[in-house]
Amino acid sequence: MAASRRIQKELNDIKTAGIKSFRDVTVAEGNLLSWTGVIVPENPPFNKGAFRIEITFPAEYPFKPPKISFKTKIYHPNIDEKGQVCLPIISAENWKPATKTEQVIQALIQLVNDPEPDHPLRADLAEEFTKDKRKFFKNAEDYTKKFGEKRPAD
Amino acid sequence: MSGEEDSAMYYSDDDCGYDAYYNMGDCDVEEVDVKDDPEYFAYETLRVEQVERLLNESVEALSNKLHITPSLAKVVLLTHEWQLLPSAVAYKNNDWIQNLLNPSGGTKLETIGSKLRCPVCFCPAPPEKFSSIACSHMFCNECWVSHFEVQITQGVSTGISCMAQDCGLLAPEDFVLSLLTKMPLREKYQEFAFRDYVKSHPELRFCPGPNCKLVFRSKEPKAKRTICEQCKTTFCFKCGTEYHAPTDCSTIKKWLTKCADDSETANYISAHTKDCPRCHICIEKNGGCNHMQCYNCKHDFCWMCLGDWKSHGSEYYECSRYKENPNIVNESVLAQAREALKKYLHYYERWENHSKSLKLEAETLEKIKSRINAKVMNSSGTWIDWQYLVDAAGLLAKCRYTLQYTYPYAYYMEPGPRKELFEYQQAQLEAEIENLSWKIERAETTDRGDLENQIDIAEKRRTTLLKDFLDV
Repeated sequence: MAASRRIQKELNDIKTAGIKSFRDVTVAEGNLLSWTGVIVPENPPFNKGAFRIEITFPAEYPFKPPKISFKTKIYHPNIDEKGQVCLPIISAENWKPATKTEQVIQALIQLVNDPEPDHPLRADLAEEFTKDKRKFFKNAEDYTKKFGEKRPAD
Repeated sequence: MSGEEDSAMYYSDDDCGYDAYYNMGDCDVEEVDVKDDPEYFAYETLRVEQVERLLNESVEALSNKLHITPSLAKVVLLTHEWQLLPSAVAYKNNDWIQNLLNPSGGTKLETIGSKLRCPVCFCPAPPEKFSSIACSHMFCNECWVSHFEVQITQGVSTGISCMAQDCGLLAPEDFVLSLLTKMPLREKYQEFAFRDYVKSHPELRFCPGPNCKLVFRSKEPKAKRTICEQCKTTFCFKCGTEYHAPTDCSTIKKWLTKCADDSETANYISAHTKDCPRCHICIEKNGGCNHMQCYNCKHDFCWMCLGDWKSHGSEYYECSRYKENPNIVNESVLAQAREALKKYLHYYERWENHSKSLKLEAETLEKIKSRINAKVMNSSGTWIDWQYLVDAAGLLAKCRYTLQYTYPYAYYMEPGPRKELFEYQQAQLEAEIENLSWKIERAETTDRGDLENQIDIAEKRRTTLLKDFLDV
């Protein structure tokens, strides 16, 4: 498979780079095309927990973009109840074969830390975020504490 | 207009006198019509080769002017509506390059011995196996080809851009074709590219007819009636949907969406049969005419309002006008909603009714043709004597079509004197069309003068309405 060489190298690069907000990268057994990892946000209200994500690479990678979905529930205007996330850098029309997975993950961390209410997947949360930030922060924090994974110690 | 050039060339040598005489006669008639006809629209029909020639002329002009390759000129023209001057200016100002990072710097690739590492597949390859477009972002040829293949199978052709992050520079045609060797993909690429060129050209339109390859060109593109000479599809040049004068493109789109959403309710409420208002026997509408005569009691009434037909007669035709409730602002929300539905149904029923009448009148035309045959066989008049009936049926269809499209127009009009004038003219047209429809369905004797008079009146009403309200 043409994709393997590049994915393997990207995996090694990400592991050696040691991104603070993205930990615990593992590859599904025998399938290099499916990764999981944990997003550890720095900004409130999401900094009370961590969120597991799955990255799947298509067979045509890197000529088609990878897909990202959240396995941990999150109270976020840009991530829906099914865990789907709207990230422009990996949309079919914006995708560039030279874009590296590390750049995709950085864009995702940025989006989790600073929601974009102008392009929401959940309109109700986007409205709460813009109109009543205090309420949004409280709900999101409660949600993070209830459903979020434990943050790594260091 | 379409085909004129061809026929002129075809007849130019022999038959000169006869055809020239008649062709010129035709032209004269058209000249008069042009000034008079609010629906007149100048366009020409082009075959694929003619379109290619037209596009190539623009490409050649720009490439000569700027001393660039034709392929690059095509990219610039594509993004500037095929206009020479704006394209040239954009090229000189570098505006044609979107989101381009490092326009000349290029990328420094990691070297492995005498080889370079491709930033997409991470594989080392000799430098001569690398290529780039004007932005100098280098990638190995194998990756370029894979990139093209994936894009083309997704339907992208002229939109294929550089593979570098944040670089939006489009790959010119000759670059793609120099690397792409698989025949089916090359053909697909060229086919998609041609589609993109036509779609990006403001003067060109594909025929919306199924499997029709013709292209139409108008130097003044407007929302006017275009008829494909090959597949006979009639459409609006601007939006490519069914012709919709006097309603404009955005209004008809809004109306059709609304009808699609609400059609179930509307269908439920306006059934296909009605009871005779006098003897209450059930009547099914079996012709296009709204002037009904009960087969049981012979009562004449109007299908739309169920009123006595005599009150419609030559008098002011009231039943096409929707009467707004003047007190509506003071009513409850529920009453307002009901009023809104009532208003919509009023226009929808009339729209739907004319659409059904048009279909029924197509059947009537068939009946007319067999009736003419029967009459000719019985020696009551010659075939030519009866042709006016067929012409009348054709004109009736044209008038009813326009009338159908006046209802969405009226629905979205603000109340006021202009709407009153519109609905007055609409009512006049409605009345004349029903007269015509009635006369055609019952034309037994050669009452030609009367019918031709009616044809003339109906067409005058139609053109008057379009002249006053068709604004495209």
